[in-house]
Amino acid sequence: MKNRLKILRAERDWSQADLADRLEVSRQTINALETGKYDPSLPLAFRIARLFGQPIESIFDDGQA
Amino acid sequence: MTTAKNPARKRYIARFIPTMAVYVAAIFTVSWVFNRYEPTGPIAWGLALLPALPLLAIIAIMGVYLSEEGDEFIRKILVESMLWGVGLTLAIMTVWGFLEIYAGAPKLPSFWAFPIFCFGMGLAQPFIKRRYR
Repeated sequence: MKNRLKILRAERDWSQADLADRLEVSRQTINALETGKYDPSLPLAFRIARLFGQPIESIFDDGQA
Repeated sequence: MTTAKNPARKRYIARFIPTMAVYVAAIFTVSWVFNRYEPTGPIAWGLALLPALPLLAIIAIMGVYLSEEGDEFIRKILVESMLWGVGLTLAIMTVWGFLEIYAGAPKLPSFWAFPIFCFGMGLAQPFIKRRYR
């Protein structure tokens, strides 16, 4: 699924490792999320949304809207 | 899984290594006892089960790690690689089983199921990881 994680991360000047620490996941998980090859579970998507202070649908795009 | 600070992974390794050491010790001890004393009957059955116990523990340790791993993506990779291990084990056992029945192939000891599973699991992991890069 397409997402804006990389942009949101860059805006904050965080590395993948920084974001991984903040979400308590591994750096390879962040990488898989950013490439859009792995879709997060709903709980992880909520954690991401809260961290960036944005609704899930403004971060992730399932191409249906 | 490769992160050094992953506590679930650390606990897994801390359980895995001593259990494998017990397994190796059990294999050597039991082999030695069978060579030396050639036990039979219930004693032989009991002794033969000894090396299996640490391997049963290893299966449980893998299951506990799977439930303790907090990173869902790592968990997914692990589960997928386990499925490849299961697939390889079933494939080899099935094919070889028919070769034994019809073609007189030498008996493949069922002991090999677990090593084949681990081999398949280990072999699959880098390929699965590459898919998500």
